[in-house]
Amino acid sequence: MADPARVKPIAVVSEAPAERPKPGEGSRDAPGSSSKVSELTTVQTTAKEQGKVRSAEDDAAGEEEGSSSLHPPPAKKLKVEHDKKKEKRHKVDEDEIQKMQVLVSSFSEEQLNRYEMYRRAAFPKAAIKRLIQSITGSSVSQNVVIAMSGIAKVFAGEIVEEALDVCEKWGDTPPLQPKHMREAVRRLKSREQIPNTKHKKILFH
Amino acid sequence: MAEEEDDPGFDEELDDGGNGADSGQGKRKRLFSKELRCMMYGFGDDQNPYTESVDILEDLVIEFITEMTHKAMSIGRQGRVQVEDIVFLIRKDPRKFARVKDLLTMNEELKKARKAFDEANYGS
Repeated sequence: MADPARVKPIAVVSEAPAERPKPGEGSRDAPGSSSKVSELTTVQTTAKEQGKVRSAEDDAAGEEEGSSSLHPPPAKKLKVEHDKKKEKRHKVDEDEIQKMQVLVSSFSEEQLNRYEMYRRAAFPKAAIKRLIQSITGSSVSQNVVIAMSGIAKVFAGEIVEEALDVCEKWGDTPPLQPKHMREAVRRLKSREQIPNTKHKKILFH
Repeated sequence: MAEEEDDPGFDEELDDGGNGADSGQGKRKRLFSKELRCMMYGFGDDQNPYTESVDILEDLVIEFITEMTHKAMSIGRQGRVQVEDIVFLIRKDPRKFARVKDLLTMNEELKKARKAFDEANYGS
């Protein structure tokens, strides 16, 4: 039974609000970050399990029809192959989920804190929506806000990672200084990972 | 110094200490200071990142969102920003593309789960 106080309309997806009853819910009040982190991974598991159940039903339907004839027609063969690929993909997902759980369970306190911040930090949807609407002049759908905040977070991550590379290369220590950030931006610009439509490139002049 | 010639907007911002009343980009109030601090820590920076670095990152993120919005407005349906346009613009960048696909799929699954939960609740 989900706590209604925790249900938010289209909540921050990266925060993964707990909807389905899960083993970790009982320990919600327990202190310590390990329960919070297991929350984040368990909801991902339940969402993937839901997908797996659906595809298992598809597989069962496919198998039944195939057993009636000796040589399944090409269309049937393609469908069975596609179902096998879906199964394989779900097995790969399961492996990855298990590996992640093993990894997270072996984190130190500081690593757990950082991982929790990494998963939880997100841009406020209202501010992003306001920003986009001030640029377009018309309203935008919620999916656009979700997509844009997700991309912006990945973008911020790319810059911070590059800046940490620069910082290490220059023999400095974190916290990051503006000079690291600027050098990171310069590098990403040369790799065209930062969009820039202000400078018009004239081909022949 | 070479790095200061990179973008005059940033430097005016820094000289003013983030309160810039007369610099171009500093006029806007800081929108994402708190969230960006947590994000930088999550991505590997110190637990207390420098305010100037957070400001630079905020300006970069706002510029990124602005560029993407302008590009999205110019393709597909003109003057509107739609999810398909964003996905199209991001197609060459594997990380961002995968992230957007994941987010939208998760959102759909959560919506279905909530709907099923509400219907179950309504029955009881």
